[in-house]
Amino acid sequence: MASFEFELTRNITIGQYLPTGSLIHRLDPRIKLLAFTILVIAMAICHTYVGNFIALAFACYLFYISRIPISYGLSGVKPAIPFILVLAVLQLLFYSEIASGGTVFVDYGFILITSDSIRLVIVSALRFIEIIFLSSVLTLSTSTTQITHGIESLLDPLKHVKFPVHEFALIITIAIRFVPTFAMEMEKMMKAQASRGAEFGTGAWWRIIQRTKDVFPIIIPLFNVAMARAEDLVLAMEARCYTPGSERSIYAKYKAKSTDYAALLFCILFAVLLLAFPFPY
Amino acid sequence: MSDNPILEVKNLQHIYMEKTPLEHQALTGVSLRVYDGECIAIIGHTGSGKSTLIQHFNGLMRPQRGEVIVDGHHLSDPKLDIKGLRRKVGLVFQNPEDQIFEKLIGDDIAYGPLKMGLPLKEVRDRVEWAMELVGLSFNELKDRVTYALSGGQKRKVALAGVLALKPKILVLDEPTAGLDPRSRQELLDNIVQLNKKENMTVIFVSHNMEEVAYLAERIYVLADGRNLIEGTPRDIFGNNETLAKHHIGAPQTVEILTKLKEQGYDVNLKSYEIEAATKEIVSVLQSYRR
Repeated sequence: MASFEFELTRNITIGQYLPTGSLIHRLDPRIKLLAFTILVIAMAICHTYVGNFIALAFACYLFYISRIPISYGLSGVKPAIPFILVLAVLQLLFYSEIASGGTVFVDYGFILITSDSIRLVIVSALRFIEIIFLSSVLTLSTSTTQITHGIESLLDPLKHVKFPVHEFALIITIAIRFVPTFAMEMEKMMKAQASRGAEFGTGAWWRIIQRTKDVFPIIIPLFNVAMARAEDLVLAMEARCYTPGSERSIYAKYKAKSTDYAALLFCILFAVLLLAFPFPY
Repeated sequence: MSDNPILEVKNLQHIYMEKTPLEHQALTGVSLRVYDGECIAIIGHTGSGKSTLIQHFNGLMRPQRGEVIVDGHHLSDPKLDIKGLRRKVGLVFQNPEDQIFEKLIGDDIAYGPLKMGLPLKEVRDRVEWAMELVGLSFNELKDRVTYALSGGQKRKVALAGVLALKPKILVLDEPTAGLDPRSRQELLDNIVQLNKKENMTVIFVSHNMEEVAYLAERIYVLADGRNLIEGTPRDIFGNNETLAKHHIGAPQTVEILTKLKEQGYDVNLKSYEIEAATKEIVSVLQSYRR
């Protein structure tokens, strides 16, 4: 049992901002969001081994230039590992109709494992890690206020089709802003219940009902706390005369510089290369 | 009071998020000794490491450097029976009413004993014992719903939930914060009773000096992750230089006596208790009459 058994905040990288003042930190948040979207789309489409390894290397390189320790990215991947594994098994067993090409390795009953389905599994896992890395760099190098302002100004044209841009941006800020808060609340709750004799994750894994019941003492109070926090937030916003739907001015005005455009251009070129280059594997 | 401390902390250090850019050293070297049956106050400003320290008492945190010994067991021992330790040291967090999750009061208090695997009869007895100790009527309240309670009552339920484990040492983090004056006094009286009648060792963190003066037999003052001084309330509150040097607040009784002394009256600053302070003031008044 490690001494940081309850240090949940250690494993949550979303919503944490790590100011190192690097080149990436200084980029215009709108450009960063745009580049992020383009890269994610490219990574999601790219289906070759080589392409995905290059993309992974690129994501690691982003950690390097933003001067953020790569351990942050890895600790974001850790909690996703069970999910990645389950996904891999499901894809291996049930995706044979889609990925039936290539050499057939196993053909037994409904199970059909081919070189294509194995590629699907490995590439999906790689994509997952790439995207976690990429979002970690984005959130670690951009404060939540910057992200919201960025989203708001990028979505601004949608106002013409009556899309509630400001409300949307507000919801995202609140959601991101409260991730660390709830992690801390949860940590406190786990400690409090452990002090009363609760145990987490010690029962045998096949006793699903027991292990589900074990989390009730945390989930129920956490839900209560979340409700109370939401109410406090509403009061605090109303106390500062927040009015939904009214015209709001923004104090942060962004102006893209030549480095911003260069970075965006670089990302677009990388995405095009990833998609258009005929990688052999 | 026995010779061996029931809880001993030797040069304890703790660093949060070690080896990350957000590294922060919360404890830089705390040492303390608590003897069986004592009532100890830990005071210090926000960020002085109080909460980190008390989480070491029941093994929520293990010592990174230094030692914590509870009732003869070393917390750094990897084979330590951690569940046994948490039964021995009951830890009540700040705002413990947040941790209530069952629908019925009795069920919530029974959570700990049930987790211990006790027979139902024993669990029932413990719930009754714990509820009566904090002044909640077992027959009347055990089947009431938890969400309809007042803040003070909820806190009592949460305290009873920890007491039902029958701990030898009770650790409380700001037990009365945010309570109304009446609930506050009731809770303080409960704590006195637990300490005196049930002979439980009590360690509590507080910012309220009246409370500290009322309950504590000894005080530890924490600052910047280390303990500055320790002593009886008489030693600490009675010494103006110490108070000023370490920026410790004093109970109002001490403040009044200090003001009187500044005006040239002959009063004993060590009379921090309400009765003793009253006597000092009365003697000043009497000398004035003559």
